Amino acid sequence: MHFRIADDVAWVSQDDLDGGDVPVAYMTRVPGGPPILLEGSGCIVWLALAEGGTLEDITVRAAELSDTDADLIRDDVADLVDQLVVIRLADEEDR
Amino acid sequence: MDPTSEELAEDELGHIPVAARVHLSHAVVQQLADRGGIDVLHLKGPAVLPGLREPGRHSSDVDVLVRPSHLPLLVTALESIGWEQRTTFATGSVFAHAANWWHDDWGWVDVHLHWPGVTIEPELAFEVFSRDLVQRDIAHRPCPVPNATAQRLILVLHSARSGGTTDVEHAWGAADTAEQDDVRALAAELGAEVALAAGIGELEQHRGHPTYLLWRHFVEGGSRMDEWRARWAAARGARAKTHLLTAAMRVNQDHLRMELGRPPTREEVRAKQRERWRKAAGEVEARVRRS
Repeated sequence: MHFRIADDVAWVSQDDLDGGDVPVAYMTRVPGGPPILLEGSGCIVWLALAEGGTLEDITVRAAELSDTDADLIRDDVADLVDQLVVIRLADEEDR
Repeated sequence: MDPTSEELAEDELGHIPVAARVHLSHAVVQQLADRGGIDVLHLKGPAVLPGLREPGRHSSDVDVLVRPSHLPLLVTALESIGWEQRTTFATGSVFAHAANWWHDDWGWVDVHLHWPGVTIEPELAFEVFSRDLVQRDIAHRPCPVPNATAQRLILVLHSARSGGTTDVEHAWGAADTAEQDDVRALAAELGAEVALAAGIGELEQHRGHPTYLLWRHFVEGGSRMDEWRARWAAARGARAKTHLLTAAMRVNQDHLRMELGRPPTREEVRAKQRERWRKAAGEVEARVRRS
């Protein structure tokens, strides 16, 4: 199963805004969704998701971004990606 | 407004920093435009191409130029998701060029029918601004923006109207001669030579032009009386002058509403009207004393 940010999502992170060192991203489903905030580890998972891939790809990428052992975060990443799919900020597709 | 902020300042909406909101809001407007087949160009703020503006500057609202004949479609689309019109084109500015809509999540969007300083037919001007447009990612979604030459001109004209901003240093001062020539040629095509001259310090070359006083007023400032004298000189024809006179003494109820944070009462409108007359009378008196 592959995951990616849904087609109708607009988002910005602190990298786009010169906004400081704390990982933070804001997103919405356009045009009618509410603004949503992910900060800290949630933002790191979002940035890992932005490149798309399997849950394992996303976990490894998030671990690299946060300089953490992938085994320590695997379950949390899976939970968050699952929630993002539920609220339709992320899409999952069979490949 | 284009405040410079080093951090992601929050505005009156509180829950999302201004800069983040503006990026997302551009994307929301573009999605509405895509769905409705509406031609818009995104201006200023995150729509500005790299190198044309001082880094770190953020806009506090979204500016879009709409193809004039598509305005009704855009208004319907904006209002379908909760934007509320707060100023009209007649009351939005001296140039009657823009109106504002407010959304509780996405803040202000300024919809421009034309750009102050451009004097050719707005529909034709939109065509010219759209020529060689560029798709720029805002909030990771493609948004059409004018090309670099058009953006330089837009920033300089905006600066001229705002009494001079640092935008000119980047949009004009940092441009090479060939780039400046392109901007001059575009300004000529759009009938914006006087406004461009006002923005780049060459206004005196247009002393005899009907809009000379108006642009001098924007660049140098002055009293409200000076402004009206300049607007009178710039208004061409009896119809334009009549319209100006009528507008002169009418209280701008949209702005009064924004000032008060609620619709004004009839008494408040009357009080404002009296205040305008007193202010005008005061300026006349001051002039009489000076002379």
